[in-house]
Amino acid sequence: MQEAFDPRGAITWQPSLSVVTASAVAALPMALPVALATDVWQLSALASPRPQVISPLLRGAQTGAVTLSLVAPKLKVSSFQFPQFDSWKSNLSAPAPPAAPAVNPAGAAPPDPATKARTRIKPPGDVIKLEDRLLYLLQPSLETLIGDAALAMPFRPFAYQFEGVAFLYPRWTAILADEMGLGKTMQAITAMRLLLHAGELRSVLLVCPKPLVTNWQREFSLWAPELPITVIEGDQGRRRWQWQQTESPLKVANYELLQRDRQLVAELGLQFDLVVLDEAQRIKNRASVTSQSVREIPRRRSWALTGTPVENSPQDLVGIFEFLSPGYLCDSMKPRRMGQAAADHVLRRTKDKVLTELPPKTFRDAEVELSSAQRASYTMAEEEGVIRLTEMGDAATIQHVFELVLRLKQICNFDPVSGDSSKFERLAADLDEVAASGRKAIIFSQWVATLENLAGRLKHLRPGLYHGGVPSKHRDGVLERFREDKRQHVLLLSYGAGGVGLNLQFAEYVFLYDRWWNPAVEDQAINRAHRIGAAGPVTVTRFLALDTIEQRIDQVLREKREIFDTIFNDVEPRESLGLTQQEIFGLFKLRCPAGPIDLAA
Amino acid sequence: MSMGDTKSQQALGFLTILEHDQLGYVGGYLILNSAGRPLEFHCTAPVKPNRAQQILFGPTLESYLYGEQIGQTLLAKSSVDLLAVCTDVERALCVRDYVATPVALVLAEPAGSEGPSADAVTASGLAASWRVDAAHGAQPHLHEFALGRNRLAVPNHHDDDRQQIAERLTALISFDLAEPFERIREAIEEAHKGSRAA
Repeated sequence: MQEAFDPRGAITWQPSLSVVTASAVAALPMALPVALATDVWQLSALASPRPQVISPLLRGAQTGAVTLSLVAPKLKVSSFQFPQFDSWKSNLSAPAPPAAPAVNPAGAAPPDPATKARTRIKPPGDVIKLEDRLLYLLQPSLETLIGDAALAMPFRPFAYQFEGVAFLYPRWTAILADEMGLGKTMQAITAMRLLLHAGELRSVLLVCPKPLVTNWQREFSLWAPELPITVIEGDQGRRRWQWQQTESPLKVANYELLQRDRQLVAELGLQFDLVVLDEAQRIKNRASVTSQSVREIPRRRSWALTGTPVENSPQDLVGIFEFLSPGYLCDSMKPRRMGQAAADHVLRRTKDKVLTELPPKTFRDAEVELSSAQRASYTMAEEEGVIRLTEMGDAATIQHVFELVLRLKQICNFDPVSGDSSKFERLAADLDEVAASGRKAIIFSQWVATLENLAGRLKHLRPGLYHGGVPSKHRDGVLERFREDKRQHVLLLSYGAGGVGLNLQFAEYVFLYDRWWNPAVEDQAINRAHRIGAAGPVTVTRFLALDTIEQRIDQVLREKREIFDTIFNDVEPRESLGLTQQEIFGLFKLRCPAGPIDLAA
Repeated sequence: MSMGDTKSQQALGFLTILEHDQLGYVGGYLILNSAGRPLEFHCTAPVKPNRAQQILFGPTLESYLYGEQIGQTLLAKSSVDLLAVCTDVERALCVRDYVATPVALVLAEPAGSEGPSADAVTASGLAASWRVDAAHGAQPHLHEFALGRNRLAVPNHHDDDRQQIAERLTALISFDLAEPFERIREAIEEAHKGSRAA
């Protein structure tokens, strides 16, 4: 605040602040100056003064006010509604199995019931739409689903089996490539069953090798007894009627029959929600009629079950993917790249990783020296064969080489002249021990003649015979006797007929009397015994005649195993993959035109 | 395949609210049918109270966020009739004041385990931190009860809900009512992962 004297007798007050305090007002000089008028000029000066009035602003300036809105803006909500399908229903001909017992009759320790394990379905990587991903994420755990009385299971599955079901459930293209004996059948049946009950499937076609049809029927009756099955069989008129059946959601057909009904399936305009191929390695050759037949079937989902998705070369996997998702894999892909591309569609577990409860599997390489008679026959056959192939020069084909290989391998089994067999001597000794201990053994060979020769020599052990020459209607009986008859200790099987699908877990000894070209086929054979439910440790004896073609083939088999490891275990191959003609000819140090060949399994 | 009639189904709601350090609060609401399969899922965008709300709502902020803003909004989205709503967040029980459907808190401990008696007041720390505005901001008193193998609780001032829930959920007595919250958490994560990617 500032004050100044005004000669006109007024006070000027210039407030410099907008707010005047009481103390400031009190301090103003209120006395007016007085003077005497002595003349006119002075009189004029006596006129009443006109004081300037100043109104000091005693109010403060307009005070600003802020209004805070506490009303929250409308909350943004994302909403998803999920389709509810009519569950598949039928006249239930069989009751649901009783609830899971406390002890898994498979023989292995059951999962601890105290642990609240929950296996959740995860959306596959190729499901992009959020709503679809949420639909899978929000499904109840598998343990919850099968806790439902209508979906009870006869035995409590292992944790890895739940994971297998959770893998299959959301996938439209999938390969379940578990090692043999881990229960691919049960996992596939359970996934199908859950999808059928959820209404996501209404028609399923399962294709398997003919000898396994009865096995699938048995497994369905065990794990999904409420699901009626139509097995496609009989004459064409009957099959036409069966194909058109709509009462049962499940049809089971074998590969051979499917080839015959290729036209019929197309003519009837059949369409399936899901087609499952068992032993899917059968379609590895894209040019085969089998592959073409299954690829033609109209379907929404495609699953493949195989313990050996790669038998000979990475192209085997390409062949299977041609059924699942044509063009997704191609031959030019490097194994590592192929493995990465296939990763989200393939689930592969091995027993040593997931089935720690399974009894151990022990390998014994029974390396035997040929008897002198055998050696003489062998040397003669080899020399003659090599000379003949050499003389043929460029006219020698892979077929000629194979013929020689087979001839030499047969001599390693039995000398055609003397009947000598070093392998048999060793085998007979082992089998006596097996029988004496009351156990059972299975013996594999690639030749029916070898199996029959063995059967003749092992009569005292009452061996069963199971090979391609045994009529299908008798095969179940052979297995049944071997399972039930305590006096029967030996079953002789061919790789072709007995290598897949059979459950022989009560046998504790496996003998590979001769070696197959492909280690995957050998694994299949071994795992007939070494699978869930195995009573005890399984001992595998692999016969190998020293300094023979068998030893050279063994080296080839080891290299093949590396192919598999590269794709499914993501490790670099140590040596070149594949088997070339050159390598086959190289077994006999022969020269041949270069180029890859496909060795049939 | 035909769509089922969702209106005629018995449905159960599951409400949870997650607190995220950076994002704030996110609500998820899952509606299941009697087989435990999902019918609907709703989730909110993250809600983060501003400074003014924090000051002015004071201790009532959480009940406002959990009950009124998130809970009530989500429950209003349901297109099916619900038997009841379950939550695993005690503060979300406030939503019961805004809806007609019974709301129960699913307690983590399984029935039969050692713990407070059935009629115990379970609001944690309630006695030690009583406030004059407790009617709005403090945890409500809870009334516990068992339903099958589940242990549930309802606010004391909605004690009638106990009877209603027991009657309505008789058919679902074997249901593990704590399990669906795990699904909601995964779904919220997936939804927000998707929105970030978009």
